[in-house]
Amino acid sequence: MTIQDQHITQAAMNLYSWALRRVPDDTKAALAQARESESNETARKTLNMMLHSASAAETADRYVCSDAGIPVFFVRIGTKADWNANIKSALRAGFDELVQTIDPPLLKHVTNPLTLERGYHGKDMPIVTFDLIEDADYIEIICSPKALGSGRWAAMELFTFPTLETIETYILDVAIKAGSQHCPPVVMGVGIGGTFDYCAKMAKEATLRQIGQAHPEKIVADMEQRLYQAVNALGYGPMGTGGDTTVLGVHVNYAAGHGFTPVAVAFNCWINRRSIARIHGDGRIERVE
Amino acid sequence: MRNIVLPATRQAVAELELGEMVTVSGPIVVTAGIPTHHRIIEHIEDGRPTPIALEDAAFFHLGSYSRETADGFEILYMNPTTSTRFNSLMPRIIRHFGLRCVGGKGGLDDECTLALQDVGGVYLSFLGGGAPIISAAIRHIRQVAWDDLISHYRLVELEVEALGPLTVAIDARGNSLYRNLDDAAHSKRAAILERLAQQRQSQ
Repeated sequence: MTIQDQHITQAAMNLYSWALRRVPDDTKAALAQARESESNETARKTLNMMLHSASAAETADRYVCSDAGIPVFFVRIGTKADWNANIKSALRAGFDELVQTIDPPLLKHVTNPLTLERGYHGKDMPIVTFDLIEDADYIEIICSPKALGSGRWAAMELFTFPTLETIETYILDVAIKAGSQHCPPVVMGVGIGGTFDYCAKMAKEATLRQIGQAHPEKIVADMEQRLYQAVNALGYGPMGTGGDTTVLGVHVNYAAGHGFTPVAVAFNCWINRRSIARIHGDGRIERVE
Repeated sequence: MRNIVLPATRQAVAELELGEMVTVSGPIVVTAGIPTHHRIIEHIEDGRPTPIALEDAAFFHLGSYSRETADGFEILYMNPTTSTRFNSLMPRIIRHFGLRCVGGKGGLDDECTLALQDVGGVYLSFLGGGAPIISAAIRHIRQVAWDDLISHYRLVELEVEALGPLTVAIDARGNSLYRNLDDAAHSKRAAILERLAQQRQSQ
């Protein structure tokens, strides 16, 4: 059997619905840990409400947040996968069908940037990017619905031959600019190097990494750890009303580049929406997260 | 935890302290739309009453899904949006109507804080991603206005009971947690950068 349009369409529907109703386990664990270590009483109560909201959404099978975001899919195709599908239009069909059938209905967030008209459809929606996984015999799809609350604070700058000091100062200043407004505690994703487009993608992908999983290279893992402490020392706290927990993790990805070095920063709000599925050759959709 | 009965008196909100958590009960008016705020300001300029009265009201930046039913409307869920998006529009609205409680998430700027101080109003911070908790406080819908707009842009008046907990983030005396935290972060910045430099040296 071959992976076909209908499997991709079904996976797109499932992934989006899962992401809206369930806060990932690593994120709940990090929030619970923060609740234990917080020194600020309002912050502890706010973290407690977050955990309560996550569990209430799961129990009632309802949305954690009313901003369902816009559909964003990362597709990773196994080089040994057996597939014959128009993946992008199949994903679009999945989102269209979701909009028709999901209960409760979604608010209209897809926005034409030229006219500000809002609906469920728009040019280039869903946002889809593709990669390959060597030797895998499945297609992996990550769904990361992106909403305004944390989406609007992403930033990027281009430096020439920057020192680590320059890079880290920039990252801290982006955190200060976002301040109280991106529904903290957030996951902060950072991309360093590559090219303009590749750097932004690295930052976004870094937000999708499991919390607590350090970068394999020590120089990067050390940077992640000290930036985590630095951003939390700013004191914005849960929902930006003060406390020790502004980030749950700082995840850095890097790539070699020329002497011009882009640095990109992206945020995921505390509900840290992401869902992952693998589609196998027999059409089975395996929920990974 | 204090429960504020709406419409709140000036005295009831004057006592609230920064960082205190409260609930509110009674009528609230909600919207998440910039076009909605523009319409409110057009009504102020034309001297026309808004379809839902906002005098002394609790006016919150909450997006809600309202669906038409045989008996009117029902609300399926509701959740805050970022209030700073409305910074330039809120001082006039706060002052004109004497808003007693405003709220949403992410706060408002210094101009809005001044306007709140002038009228004796407070800003209450809602939990972003709190749709299950916030929606559970809805008792019934009082009115839905401007239903030509998409759902979360409409002006909706709801009756709520023990909505919250909400954090008092701007008080009625001109104090703002957002201003305080931002000032503190800027003043800590140099020391944080120094610590980063030391850590880079030792690692």
